[in-house]
Amino acid sequence: MLSYILKRLGIGVFTIWFIATATFTAMHMVPGDPLSNERGTNEIIRANLERQYGLDKPVFQQYLLYMGNMLKGDFGIAFSEENRSVNDIIREHFPVSATLGLLSLLFATAGGVLWGALAALYRNRLPDAVLMFLVILGISVPSFVFAALSQLLILNLNQWAGRSILPVAGWGDFRSMLVPALVLGMSTMAFMTRLMRSSMLEVANTDYIRTARAKGLSPTRIFFRHQLRNAILPVITVLGPAIAIITTGGFVVESVFAIPGLGRYFVQAVAQLDYTVIMGTTVFFGAFLVLVVIAVDILYGFIDPRIRLGAV
Amino acid sequence: MSSSEYALEVDRLAVSFDTYGGVVQAVRDVSFKLRKGRTLAIVGESGCGKSVTMQSIMGLIPMPPGRITQGSARLNGDELLGISQKALNAIRGNRVGMIFQDPMSSLNPTMTIGRQIAETLVVHRGLSTSAARKEVLELLRLVQIPEAEKRIDQYPFEFSGGMLQRVMIAMAIACKPEVLIADEPTTALDVTIQAQILNLLKDLQERYGLSIILITHDLGVVARMAHDVAVMYAGQVVEAGSVDDIFYRSAHPYTLGLRAAMPSNDPEKRTLRIIPGSPPDLFAPPPGCAFAARCPHAMRLCHEHAPPLYGTGHIARCWLHHPQAPESPVRGNIATLTEPAC
Repeated sequence: MLSYILKRLGIGVFTIWFIATATFTAMHMVPGDPLSNERGTNEIIRANLERQYGLDKPVFQQYLLYMGNMLKGDFGIAFSEENRSVNDIIREHFPVSATLGLLSLLFATAGGVLWGALAALYRNRLPDAVLMFLVILGISVPSFVFAALSQLLILNLNQWAGRSILPVAGWGDFRSMLVPALVLGMSTMAFMTRLMRSSMLEVANTDYIRTARAKGLSPTRIFFRHQLRNAILPVITVLGPAIAIITTGGFVVESVFAIPGLGRYFVQAVAQLDYTVIMGTTVFFGAFLVLVVIAVDILYGFIDPRIRLGAV
Repeated sequence: MSSSEYALEVDRLAVSFDTYGGVVQAVRDVSFKLRKGRTLAIVGESGCGKSVTMQSIMGLIPMPPGRITQGSARLNGDELLGISQKALNAIRGNRVGMIFQDPMSSLNPTMTIGRQIAETLVVHRGLSTSAARKEVLELLRLVQIPEAEKRIDQYPFEFSGGMLQRVMIAMAIACKPEVLIADEPTTALDVTIQAQILNLLKDLQERYGLSIILITHDLGVVARMAHDVAVMYAGQVVEAGSVDDIFYRSAHPYTLGLRAAMPSNDPEKRTLRIIPGSPPDLFAPPPGCAFAARCPHAMRLCHEHAPPLYGTGHIARCWLHHPQAPESPVRGNIATLTEPAC
């Protein structure tokens, strides 16, 4: 198991290097640079600025320089904000995004497992039909629609109650995280519900469930001891990709709810061609995702002994 | 008193499945009796209803679409059909143990075998986890699994097929059941392992007086294990009797066909004999004998009218036992050539 984790970490480092290189290349192939938006600059000022930021050097040299700094843990200074290092931006805003993302992942997984199991239990009956209808809504309606609708709902709720039950926007205590996390996790929850439902039905038809019934176990015991654990396995495998969707998709929800997360910088930087912020956020998100996927694989091993003990 | 002589009595059982294509009459009027401490083999080709018969008695077929339309099944006098799910759960795994065809897929892959066996003891006998563990170790030794202390904490994928079938047997006999149902227990195993498993079952039967129902399509297994045999075809019992009756005094052309189809070691008989044709469509079983279309001795009567059961003890569902029937290889193999009782 330990050698497996080390191997995965090694591949992870390679992945991060690849992400950094690919982003750097793509970024420099886009026409323009961070300074092309600056108004009122003449040739001399521009040349000075380029020298200041090292943009006058050949691209490959810039690449080496940047990679060297990155290895030291320095992502550089942001172009678009005065005197602010990318490290500061990440340090300040990532915890907000991470909290939001993990909370919504928690919602999505718990909800997906619960609703999926329920739908499978009531297969082809009314609760199943209702849930599957909601799942299609959840998958196909974009998150900004849910975000706006939920704000309207909160507004009406607060008005009806005559006081502020839930804040409409902003970031602070748990009450303000609740609705954005739910909205952000909605499509993942819907997807996981579908997955859990089909997985439950598949497990219900296996030989070992028949054995469990032939042993005279009660339906509740079969459900919790035999069916659930085996049915959850496929849901765990999509946790990794789900985290990618949730963390990178957080931008829309963050902007609708005015949440000071990293997503805003992630997207704005691309529009402004802010080289250092693009590199910083992309590499950081990439590294984060690589680590999370490794963590999910380890978790998988805990649930499925065949992987932990190296049978497959 | 019948309940003292028989462990399981099945009477006129009929099971059908409602499907989109119509109603499949999978089991049609099946009766048999399992003598205490003996082995009854239920023989027949794939799809003849032998597994469905046993699984419907144990409430293991999905209902719906499955439906038990008639009949009764008594376990030492206690009716099994139509009782509540809870009452059935108290019997399954406790008074009746079951083992299945494919031991690799019949055990939960994410649970140690020790816990899976212990579960039966915890549920039915109310044992504590530690007491159950002791009992499980005993059971593993009983089914001759070496290094039981180590094996008890291992997962199914760490076992071979033969070892897993031993685990299944240990699980099935954990509560000292009155009847053990073995549904093709050796089909998925290779021949040497097959012999070991059969010997184990035989050994357990001698030691504990187990009554066994053995579902199989392998006449070699039947000859080795069974005391009594019921031959099934197209959802019906076409012939039943002692193992000698079936092998030496076959009274149904289908049984003759099965015997002829057995591979032999004789170098003279190089080609494998088969029964031509295929079983009838159970959506709409023929009005006459189900085997008539494939039977070398079929008469016009056979296609039009379903034959009754002839004989007592050794019985056969075939018109060739009618007093006016022409000469045939099965004639005289049933002791009483009289008008049928039913």
